Amino acid sequence: MISCAVRMKLRLGWPIKAALTFMFLLIVFGKLASAQNNYEIQVYGSDTVAPKTMMVELHSNFTAEGSYPAPGSEYTSEGVYPTNHAEHETLEVTQGLTSWSEIGFYVFTSARSGDGWQWVGDHIRPRVRAPDSWHWPVGASLSMEFGYVRPSFQKDTWTWEIRPIIDKQIGRWYFAVNPAFERSFHGPSVSEGVGFAPAAKVSYDFNRYISGGLEYYADYGSLRDIYTFHNQQQQFFPAIDLNVSPQWEINFGVGVGVTAATDHWIIKGIVGRRFDWTHHRPGSSESTN
Amino acid sequence: MKTNRRQFVTQAGAAALGSSLTRNAWAQVRPPDYSLEIAPLKLEIAPGKTIHTVAYNGRIPGPLISWPENKPITIDVANHSDVPEIVHWHGLWIPSDQDGSMEEGSPMIPPGGQLRYSFTPRPAGLRWYHTHAYAGHDLKRGGYTGQFGCFYIEPKSEPGAFDQEVFLTLHDWNGYMAGGGDASMDVSYDYSTINDRMMGHADPIRVKEGQRVLFRVLNASATMTHWLALSGHDLTVVALDGNPVPVQSTIKAVRLAPAERVDFLADMNLPGVWILGETRSDIRKAGMGIVVEYAGRQGEPKWIDPPETLWDYRQFAKTEPASAEPDAKIPLAFTSKFRGHGEFDYWMINGKSYPKTDPVVVDEGKRYRLVMQNRSADDHPVHLHRHTFEVTSLDGKLMSGLRKDVVVVKANTTAEVDFTASNPGATLFHCHQQSHMDFGFMMLLRYR
Repeated sequence: MISCAVRMKLRLGWPIKAALTFMFLLIVFGKLASAQNNYEIQVYGSDTVAPKTMMVELHSNFTAEGSYPAPGSEYTSEGVYPTNHAEHETLEVTQGLTSWSEIGFYVFTSARSGDGWQWVGDHIRPRVRAPDSWHWPVGASLSMEFGYVRPSFQKDTWTWEIRPIIDKQIGRWYFAVNPAFERSFHGPSVSEGVGFAPAAKVSYDFNRYISGGLEYYADYGSLRDIYTFHNQQQQFFPAIDLNVSPQWEINFGVGVGVTAATDHWIIKGIVGRRFDWTHHRPGSSESTN
Repeated sequence: MKTNRRQFVTQAGAAALGSSLTRNAWAQVRPPDYSLEIAPLKLEIAPGKTIHTVAYNGRIPGPLISWPENKPITIDVANHSDVPEIVHWHGLWIPSDQDGSMEEGSPMIPPGGQLRYSFTPRPAGLRWYHTHAYAGHDLKRGGYTGQFGCFYIEPKSEPGAFDQEVFLTLHDWNGYMAGGGDASMDVSYDYSTINDRMMGHADPIRVKEGQRVLFRVLNASATMTHWLALSGHDLTVVALDGNPVPVQSTIKAVRLAPAERVDFLADMNLPGVWILGETRSDIRKAGMGIVVEYAGRQGEPKWIDPPETLWDYRQFAKTEPASAEPDAKIPLAFTSKFRGHGEFDYWMINGKSYPKTDPVVVDEGKRYRLVMQNRSADDHPVHLHRHTFEVTSLDGKLMSGLRKDVVVVKANTTAEVDFTASNPGATLFHCHQQSHMDFGFMMLLRYR
């Protein structure tokens, strides 16, 4: 998801063509990895927001243990704000266009003691999906995300991401994979080409209202130069979804980063409210609309 | 796939009864008044769009059976499909073994088998006939197929004058499981038709200015509720489920849950070429519409959205309470059992799914009130076989005079209906949504 676009950029490295450069990159990678940002942490499902419907979501992510400022500086050694104890609030507004397409807008913000509340950047994300009438055995959609993030939060400011989304609900089990690819258009990783940052989710419906499972987020680096495991981002989020109402979306999780390049502890929450302009109960036929 | 009890009864009953039905029931000397042949059908609903289904006599809908009230009728049914079948005569006061529900004891017709139904049609009005076979997860069987047709029982006199009479049937095709999110799975469809064609691909209904046209509409969809409007024309509802309404109201759109019928009059006072269709554009685009063409008018058919309308049965009923008090009240609570966002729910009446639902015992001649509480998030068009009921209260608001055989109990509301136990024999009560009845939403009433 969007988050990824933002998050992934942080990994950035340099082409490894010379020994000195390689050594330098190792250092840089480590530093960049520690500067991981998390603005939207979510594995996308294939469904899109219905037409005449708007989804408003607030993504709240607190990094309990993340990157620190360099000695004598308010920034990390990569020149961006540290993430340790940073609160990231992202407003996501998605409008359904047709039964198979939607468009989303993001406003990223960050708050951290001493830094105040700051605007981070904005993204736009059109998305299409395979219409139901195609009768594919799995849900499938394709998301593209483009936008800007201030350089004090991410050195790659203009980024683009393409995210295939495949999911399947079988009884009480839900599976989703998001093998995302991204590219920077302005910043130090422009020359890296396309990066690979997959995400996945498996969850189980304990009952009608509570589902729980595991979400996985990773950044393997440039396709031309996959990072070593040490420098990859690898995060696991045990998470729950509360299905209290068709109008609400609630997700909560605690993430563990298992590599040095990943923020170690993140607490995330998503609260979404659906606004249906058709004025009738979802699934009902009580009115002509 | 596991076989549930409804399937088991279907298959076992068909196997046991099949040969004897073939030998005995079919060997009638007198030719039938009507014959139905159940067989696979490739139906082209629009150029390049072909539905593979099962139908009566190779057509959609099946032949219109129009027959005088109280005159005995015989109907032979031959099953040329590859599964056991049964024909239910919906809304008729006939014996259990002729009603066409295996739960009541009517025999199944095995593949290759034949059966003669004999009964005396009543009461007068728009009834219908359809398969009552189990479908479950197979959305190409049961009510998802084209096995339906109108059965008009002719009264001694028509209640209203009209110049033209048009029978229309609504159906949805190529069902598939959809849903996800917060809801359990439900059935969605690729196409919708009025009669056998998608909008724009059928002959228009030709009318003349000044005519009064009586539309008799049946919703034969397995699961979908539909709204219909006739671009700018007023619709005067004269009967619901074939029974004249005590209050004829004029409205802009009519709603029909699965199995419901609406008879409405429309005065042709707006010359042009119009669409009679589903009010929701996505369903209309999926095919649910038909052109109404005034004489001497040409051009592209036009659609006019009706004002947003909420459906309320009370506008067709008397507002005073029912005159008769019931001899007994039968409380029925509808609930669902969640089985995952990727599965259909199980449905329960008073905490039990069919066949474990407790039968209700009634005494002939007494009046009973079904006190229904829908504790689920879905609407339920519930149907009582072999009887007509009077709707006496909806969500606590009293009413009377409205007689039906299907009533929608909206989600998280209550509804009360009265019926007189006047037709002895096993009587099925169920939700007419195929995906609900197949997964437990059924119950039997038995006469003491």
